[in-house]
Amino acid sequence: MFDPQEFVKEKVEELRTKITGKAIIACSGGVDSTVAAVLVDRAIGDRLLTVYVDTGLMRKGETEDVRRMFDGLGVHYRLVDAKDEFFAALKGQIDPEAKRKAIGEKFIRVFEREAEAFGADHLVQGTIAPDWIESGDGVRDTIKSHHNVGGLPKDMTLKLVEPLWDLYKDEVRSVARFLGVEVSERQPFPGPALAIRVIGEANPETVGVVREACAIVEEELEAAADKGSMPRPWQYFAVLLPIKSVGVQGDRRAYGRTVAIRSVESVDAMTASFSKIPYDVLERISLRITNEMKANVNRVVYDVTHKPPATIEWE
Amino acid sequence: MRVYVVDNGGQWTHREWRVLKYLKVETKIVPNTTTFDQVRDVDALVLSGGAPDVASESGRMGNNGEFLDKADFPVLGICAGMQFMATHFGGTTGPAVRAEFGRTRLYVDEEDQLFQGVPREFDVWESHNDEVRTVPEGFQVLAHSDTCQVEAMRSLRRPLYAVQFHPEVENTDFGTDIFRNFLRAVEEWHR
Repeated sequence: MFDPQEFVKEKVEELRTKITGKAIIACSGGVDSTVAAVLVDRAIGDRLLTVYVDTGLMRKGETEDVRRMFDGLGVHYRLVDAKDEFFAALKGQIDPEAKRKAIGEKFIRVFEREAEAFGADHLVQGTIAPDWIESGDGVRDTIKSHHNVGGLPKDMTLKLVEPLWDLYKDEVRSVARFLGVEVSERQPFPGPALAIRVIGEANPETVGVVREACAIVEEELEAAADKGSMPRPWQYFAVLLPIKSVGVQGDRRAYGRTVAIRSVESVDAMTASFSKIPYDVLERISLRITNEMKANVNRVVYDVTHKPPATIEWE
Repeated sequence: MRVYVVDNGGQWTHREWRVLKYLKVETKIVPNTTTFDQVRDVDALVLSGGAPDVASESGRMGNNGEFLDKADFPVLGICAGMQFMATHFGGTTGPAVRAEFGRTRLYVDEEDQLFQGVPREFDVWESHNDEVRTVPEGFQVLAHSDTCQVEAMRSLRRPLYAVQFHPEVENTDFGTDIFRNFLRAVEEWHR
């Protein structure tokens, strides 16, 4: 069907011709951008700088994990702390498209600075098919502006290189396995990160709450899968909703926020069905979130919508 | 074999390209503003789905009408591609009495070439607001669902096939088989 060996051979040659000077790659440590980094590294070696941006929107322990992974890969990299910039750009933004565009623009500004310092004129991105399909174009509706496509500012001067443009996640994973990239099986994580898992304004407080809830969902579902109680879902996370509801905690009235659990099965992210998680696993997640996060969350719901009509992420 | 995908702006146009590519067909995605002359060498065309309401926004369907009029080869219309095919030949479409998104049970009424070797009922994935109300004269309904009477149709006079559901997505059962059946029909047509 899809031949990763042939793909790698073809792309490395193409990248060698295309990138004449230096390049930087925007790398989140996820499977798409890491595969892109390895491909370009094979093509141009030291003329590539891998840039990871700590947006303040990453998951628990993520930046440290990515640092370890980069060390293992032996790529030439830089970690950029841009937390304050991203939160400043997100202040007061509640519209999902406005949030995505603010993040897309911020990423490019950071990359422009890094490219200038490194002397690069090419920006490599791990863009895959669903990113540009859902971002819309002349004939296609915009479902959501992926930060790396529809979220790009119009005045950017870096030349874009996107070697994975025609691939879907399952194909990228097969390339990752072929290249021996350790993150090949990592669950998908969106570029705008936890900002789009907070419905409403993403600020250090709301992002902190959803970060904790996401960590619990990941831990419990992975533990259940490791025990053999269920297959490991394709993508699984928590969403913080701005809806408050009444509860009772230790004989006291509680008025807290709601967390939605989202877990789906998919191959390519273009269609998805909700995961049929056993009730006892859902119960453990619910209990942990409401007990450990009692000050913030007093209700947990499970999202049972397919894509379509929903999308996988809520924004 | 050369089969191009006419892009009507669907979310899954590129999936159609991928399925054809996996089936070892020479394929590419072409805008629906392409002229017939630019595609006259193909062995078949797939008309993709898309957001347009074909009744009121036929302009957004580009040259689909020209392709259907001039094709001397098989055509497969998908979703909006099927709705356009229906109205183009005198059938009618309208807002679906009940929209269908995601999993839907499909019942095959006529095995025909398209559904050869697949079960009489199975799960397909849908995403449509409109539906075909009446098929054009000379067309036959091949499948239905619980809430949509025309899930597949074909012309009895020409090699024109159409489906409302999406055989190109992973969640549709037997989707690749339906494409394979279409390609077999293409092969037979040109024999």
